[in-house]
Amino acid sequence: MKKMALALFCIPFFLFGCSGEQLVEVKNTANAEQNQNVEEVIKNSNDVYAGNAIFIDDQLLVAVQAKPWLDYKKSKIEKNLKKQIEEKYPNLEVFVSADYKLYWETQKLLEEEDEKKVSDELEKLKKLAKEET
Amino acid sequence: MDQQQYQQIEDQITPPTPYFKNVIKAFLVGGLICTIGHAITYFYIIFFDFTETTVGNPTAATMVFIAMILTGLGLYRKLGQFAGAGSAVPVTGFSNAVVSAAIEHKTEGLVLGVGGNIFKLAGSVIVFGVASAFFVALIKLILVTMGVVEW
Repeated sequence: MKKMALALFCIPFFLFGCSGEQLVEVKNTANAEQNQNVEEVIKNSNDVYAGNAIFIDDQLLVAVQAKPWLDYKKSKIEKNLKKQIEEKYPNLEVFVSADYKLYWETQKLLEEEDEKKVSDELEKLKKLAKEET
Repeated sequence: MDQQQYQQIEDQITPPTPYFKNVIKAFLVGGLICTIGHAITYFYIIFFDFTETTVGNPTAATMVFIAMILTGLGLYRKLGQFAGAGSAVPVTGFSNAVVSAAIEHKTEGLVLGVGGNIFKLAGSVIVFGVASAFFVALIKLILVTMGVVEW
């Protein structure tokens, strides 16, 4: 009986991963029309369960989270998304990352008002993403 | 009594090894250690400037440090007795191997005791790691030069 109760208690934890909704948030101060495209690209990708996109000046930073079982082919997902997004925005400098650090930081930047701060932070993140050791 | 008879009697008396129970214990404790490691990973990502590629080093260092303290206090031995391979396979087991050897040979002096014996268990692991890393890197270099894969 005790074991049964334990098993029943554990079931919800195994099912947490099953909600299929994708969370995509976009921050764009200059042009609201641009949002649609990047949101669509992220939502159409089957390998990604969440994503943030930030437009600032002529740059676009996209931070996504790959589905847990697809973690091993992160760089491939990044490459694919980057290609698709670059097609939609040929005159923007696009940066795509599937790193959790970038996702976490962009989540905070979505609420940031000061554009100068956002821009600075973006540069910092890009530098951080290149670091390998 | 010949050897065969003795063997038979021994087999009868020896209690059966609870393989399944041991495997479950090792699985749970090993998983718990790795979960703690993952929590530390997220701690470093969220509060410090580490990305998923760079966070491995501080995480491993922290886990080794924690296991070192536990070994010094004699708690890791109890964990090892309970969990077996579950506590030996993660990086904490490596730390335990180094520190316990150092503690064991402390009485023999700093140089010949601690220095000579600290890597008794872990030394082979380190040498094997370095050598295999060298060969893997060599194979990858050859493959990259041939144009089969990218860095």
